[in-house]
Amino acid sequence: MKSQKAAISVAFDQLLSLRMDMANFTADWLHCDQLSNYVARMVSHDRPDPLRHSNLLSSVLNELLEMSFRSETDDGELVCAFCRCREIERVELTFPCPPRQRQFYKDVVLGLKTRQVLASYLGAIANDSAPGDEAILLGLVVNYDAEVQLRDFGAGTLTFIVDLPLGKLLN
Amino acid sequence: MTAQSPSPVFTVRFDISDQEFSLAGVLRPHSPAEIADDLLLLRNGIEAVNGVLYVNLKRVTHMNSTAFRALTRVLVDASHSRPELKFVVVASSVVAWAARMFRHLTDLSPNIAIEIYDSAFYPGQAFVENQSFIPILRTQTRMTWRHEREILPRHGLRTGMAIADICCGIGDFAMLVRKEFDPARIVALDHSMASLDYARDVAEKFGVRDIEYTYGDASQMLLESDQFDFVICRHSLQIFDRPEMLLRELYRICKPGGRVYITNEKNSHCLGEPRSDSIQWTYHEVAKLFSHFDMDVEMGPKGLRLLQDAGFEAVKMESFMVSNLDGDPQEFADIIAAWRDVYAGEMSVRRGDSQEFIERFKQGFEDHIFAALHPRGYAGWPIWAASGRKPL
Repeated sequence: MKSQKAAISVAFDQLLSLRMDMANFTADWLHCDQLSNYVARMVSHDRPDPLRHSNLLSSVLNELLEMSFRSETDDGELVCAFCRCREIERVELTFPCPPRQRQFYKDVVLGLKTRQVLASYLGAIANDSAPGDEAILLGLVVNYDAEVQLRDFGAGTLTFIVDLPLGKLLN
Repeated sequence: MTAQSPSPVFTVRFDISDQEFSLAGVLRPHSPAEIADDLLLLRNGIEAVNGVLYVNLKRVTHMNSTAFRALTRVLVDASHSRPELKFVVVASSVVAWAARMFRHLTDLSPNIAIEIYDSAFYPGQAFVENQSFIPILRTQTRMTWRHEREILPRHGLRTGMAIADICCGIGDFAMLVRKEFDPARIVALDHSMASLDYARDVAEKFGVRDIEYTYGDASQMLLESDQFDFVICRHSLQIFDRPEMLLRELYRICKPGGRVYITNEKNSHCLGEPRSDSIQWTYHEVAKLFSHFDMDVEMGPKGLRLLQDAGFEAVKMESFMVSNLDGDPQEFADIIAAWRDVYAGEMSVRRGDSQEFIERFKQGFEDHIFAALHPRGYAGWPIWAASGRKPL
């Protein structure tokens, strides 16, 4: 896992930032689908193949939004920011998250660097009892070549920083 | 936490005669319980088949981790409980996440195979995707454009519209439409990466940045519904084995009140003088040859019926004849020579035609070229243009 400092120092341009009251967001499961499609469409218009880029990005965003939807906290805000640095696209998703859940995510993200990710992913998708969020994070690394980082400033919120080489995946 | 709205729309189907379980649309359930009935259909289907079960996912545009894991467990469990059964999962090459996600099914069970569905759906495309065919496609477009730039306004094309060119090939028609009709938006979709690469290169060289070229399956496009004022699909329905499926998609992406414009040929009506008998025989054989590969190059006059059957109203149709009198006769002759090389070449050989047949088949093209270049000759290639309005 990259250090927090390294993650922040990379020169990404922010294209979009979207804020939503968490209680409103979690009022309807369909919001995950709608938000992911909306954000993906907005930031894909200048890509070589906007439709396919949007479809691919929406898949990643939806997984992250579904994860935040299940965070079991209604207080606070969901913030979804989208940034780009050359061919790497970055999603920053901040949402309220209880301490135990934050620790769980930290352990999983640490494991993304230290475990056999593919084997872990295959175990997670074939096993009913594996936590869904773990399968999602492993899936981002295995299926989307994502680099996943966490930023935890305390204060009951957590930020996922997910870097994606989407252009490479589309070719 | 609640999950009030139903999940996004998807459809599920099991066809016992094809031993095929199909999913289409957006699968983003909140929990596996939401798709339990659909997975039960799959489980029951697995019990009912022998040999191979096809799991057709090529029209799935989104599938979340919840749905993927639930589907994976059903397939992996079944591959263990019925080891004699082979599972073939078919995914689309258009949806970039699909191949990367579904490939893991093979890692989990050797009885599960993954097939990536791409140009196989377009039986004719393989014959014209060769790079050497590109100059001919450009010439064809240039010759038809002389007619179509006047025909298109009669079918409702105006400046400032949102336009989609579906099966755009090398993108040259989209470039001409852009220049002539200054659209508010223009999307050009094709299922050939090579053709799109060519289109993007040309656009780049000409400094054109406002054509959205996209790789896609015209029978299940990622484009949203009710988006375009004018949807173009030229010379393509005739090379699909299921044109009605394509028309449904053209209808879907067209705005209510917008129009879908199609062109198709009737190859047996290609003609020329002198040597008309030889020419006519060969082009009748062209129609039979394409029919052998499940393509209908006699479709042109059927456009009226096809559009009406697809639900369009105010259907219009007209025909025009591209001929050696349209500009340089050598260009027309070059087109025929390219047809000769493909039709009496790869296609005829692949059908298993005799050398004797191929020689006679070729002669008709040679005679058509002769007619095109003869100072007093005439050579024609008839095309039917039709359009229909999507009801409000």
